Amino acid sequence: MMLEIKDLHAVVDGKEILKGLTLSMKAGEVHAIMGPNGSGKSTLSYVLAGREGYEVTSGSITYDGHDLLTMKTEERAAKGVFLAMQYPVEIPGVTTLTFLKTALNAQRRARGENELDAMNVLKFVRQKATALQVTEEMLKRALNVGFSGGEKKRLEILQLSLFEPKLAILDETDSGLDIDALKLVAEGVNALRTPQRGMLVITHYQRLLNYIVPDRVHVLAGGRIVAEGGKELALELEAEGYANIAREPA
Amino acid sequence: MSAAPAPRESRRAEALESFRVRGMPHRRFEHWRYSDLRAVLDAGQVAQSGTANWQIERVPEGVELFDLAKPAAPEWVVRHLGNIGNRPTMEEASLAFADGGAALRVARGRKIAEPVRIQISSTGNLRLLVVLEEKASLTLYESHTVDAGLLRNVGVEVSLAPGAELMQVRSAPPMPRSFAIEHIAVVAAENAHYKAHFANFGSRLSRTELHILLQGEGSEAHLSGVTVLGGENHADVTSHIEHVAGRTLSTQLFKHIAGGKSRAVYQGKITVREGADGSDSRQTAKALLMSERAEVDLKPELIIFADDVKCAHGAAVGDLDADSLFYLRSRGISEREARRLLVHAFLEEAVAAIEDGALRESVWRDVESALPRAMEAAR
Ligand SMILES: Nc1ncnc2c1ncn2[C@@H]1O[C@H](COP(=O)(O)OP(=O)(O)O)[C@@H](O)[C@H]1O
Ligand SMILES: [Mg+2]
Repeated sequence: MMLEIKDLHAVVDGKEILKGLTLSMKAGEVHAIMGPNGSGKSTLSYVLAGREGYEVTSGSITYDGHDLLTMKTEERAAKGVFLAMQYPVEIPGVTTLTFLKTALNAQRRARGENELDAMNVLKFVRQKATALQVTEEMLKRALNVGFSGGEKKRLEILQLSLFEPKLAILDETDSGLDIDALKLVAEGVNALRTPQRGMLVITHYQRLLNYIVPDRVHVLAGGRIVAEGGKELALELEAEGYANIAREPA
Repeated sequence: MSAAPAPRESRRAEALESFRVRGMPHRRFEHWRYSDLRAVLDAGQVAQSGTANWQIERVPEGVELFDLAKPAAPEWVVRHLGNIGNRPTMEEASLAFADGGAALRVARGRKIAEPVRIQISSTGNLRLLVVLEEKASLTLYESHTVDAGLLRNVGVEVSLAPGAELMQVRSAPPMPRSFAIEHIAVVAAENAHYKAHFANFGSRLSRTELHILLQGEGSEAHLSGVTVLGGENHADVTSHIEHVAGRTLSTQLFKHIAGGKSRAVYQGKITVREGADGSDSRQTAKALLMSERAEVDLKPELIIFADDVKCAHGAAVGDLDADSLFYLRSRGISEREARRLLVHAFLEEAVAAIEDGALRESVWRDVESALPRAMEAAR
C-alpha cells in the first residue's frame, strides 16, 4: 500500500473532527473522497500535509512504509506528498516564479539532488505552464495575489506537475471552476496519472469525476468513511444525495 | 570697534544658549516618551563629544561641496546653515558643538544622476546642509560606520527651491553601545519633492527625527523606511510633516521587525495647516513582532485645520501569517526559509521605494545581515 490510514482521530481547536477514519490506497490508483460540507475532508487533507493545530489523537498513517505523522510538513513534501489546497494562500511580496524556484530547489536539496539555476527553473516552468494556460504575466505577479479562482487552481496543478509528487491530494480543486476550466484542470491531472503515483481527489460534487475517473470512491461523513465502492458510487450519490448514504452503517 | 558677529556665528551662539536652557530631551518632552535620552546621557557628554568625521569619496560633476570646518563660507551656506525649520534641542546641540560637516549645493536645473555617498564615522556632533536650487535634483546616500563611541548626533538641513527633487537614503548599522541621533529639517517650495528612505538597525538609543515643511503649493514628501532590530537595540523614527500650502502631498510607509528584547518606535505626526486645502496625506506603519519580549510602538497623529483634505492612516502590529507559513512549508520550504521569505515580502514594498538600484541593493544587504538577529526570540 502507498497510503494506509487506520482508525484516525483528529482534533481541531479542541473539537474532534475525524472520528476513526480508515482508508487505503495503492500506488497508481486514483481515489475520490466525497462528502457533505463540514464532514472533515479538508481536515483530512491538512492532517496528511502536517498542518500545525491539526492534532492526531489516535490512529496511524503509513505512507510508502514510513510513519507519516512523525515527519515535518516540509519533509513530507520532499518525500513526495503534495496537497493542492481548496483555498490557495495569497502572499504579497513573493513573486510566483520566485516561490516556484524556492520550493523546487528546497525539495531537490532535501532529496540530495542538485539545485536548478534561474534559467533552468524558468525553462522547466515554461514548459509545463503552457498546457495549463499559466501565463508569463502570472508568473511575475505576487503569489496568488489578484488571481481569479480558476487561476489559483491552475497554479496548484502547475505545482503538481512541477513537483511530481508520489501522493497527490486535490482538495476541491473543482470548486468555483466553470466547465472549460474544469476540463483544463482535469486534463492536467490525467496527464499525471502514472503507475507510481497515487491521487486522492476530494470533491463535493460528482461532476469532476466525469473527467477524472476514479478507481475507488469513499464517502466521508461525520469524520468517518461511511461508504465505499467503485466509480458508480459517485453517480448513486449524485442521484440520492448524501443523507441516505450517510445513514447506512459503514 | 567690534564687528557684529556673522549670522552663522550668532546662530551657533543662540543654539548653545538655548540648548543650555532646555537641556536634554526626556520622557516628558513631547514625542520623546519612548526614548528617554536624559536618563542615559547628560548635556555635558554631548558638549564634550566633539565633532564626528565625514567623507565623500567622489563628488559628482555638478555638485558643489563646502567643508564646514573651513573659514569664509560662501553666501548660500551662511544664508541656510542653522536657519531651516524650528530647532529641537538635540539639533541645537549639533549646531552648537559641531565644528565641521558638509554643505552641498546643486545649481538651478542640474539633475545629478550619480548619488553623492557620504560616510559618517567616529564620535561626536555633525552638520549637513543640502541646498537644491530650482529644478535641481540629487540623490544623497548617508552611511554610518559603527565607531560612534558614546554619541553620534547629526543635524541635517535641506532647502528645496521650486521644482527641486532630493532622494535621501540613510542606513546605519546596529550600534548597541552608542546613542545615534539625527535630526532632519526640510523646507520644500512649490512643486519640490523630498523623498527619503531610512534603514534602521538600532543602537542603545537611536532617534531619527524629521521635520518637513511643505511650504510651496504642490510640494511633496515621500518617506519610507525599514527598521530591523535584534538584541536590545532601540530605534525611534519620529516625523512631523506640516502641510502649509494647498495641494501638497505626503506619503509614509514604515515597516518594522522587532526581535530579541528590542524596541521599535514610529511616531508620525501630520499637521494640515489652515489654507492647505486639497492636501493629501497617507501614512502606513506596520510591525512584525518576532519575540514576546520585543516592543513596538506605532503612533500616527493627525491634526487638520484645512478643508477638502484627504488623509488615510493605518498602523498594525502582528505576527507572521500562519496560513502563509503552512502553504510554503507544504511545498517543501523549510520553516526557517519560509519565515525569511515572508519577512522579505513584508519589507519589500518599503525598500522598493528606493529608486536607485544600487542603493536599493545595498540596503537589502544591510537588511540581510541584520535579519538573523531580528528573527530571534529573546534569550
Ligand atoms: N480551524 C478550525 N477551527 C475550528 N473548527 C474547524 C477548523 N477547521 C475546520 N473546522 C471544523 O471542522 C469541521 C470539518 O471541516 P472541514 O474539514 O473543512 O470540512 P470539509 O472540507 O469537508 O467541508 C467543520 O465542522 C468545521 O467547522
Ligand atoms: Mg473543505
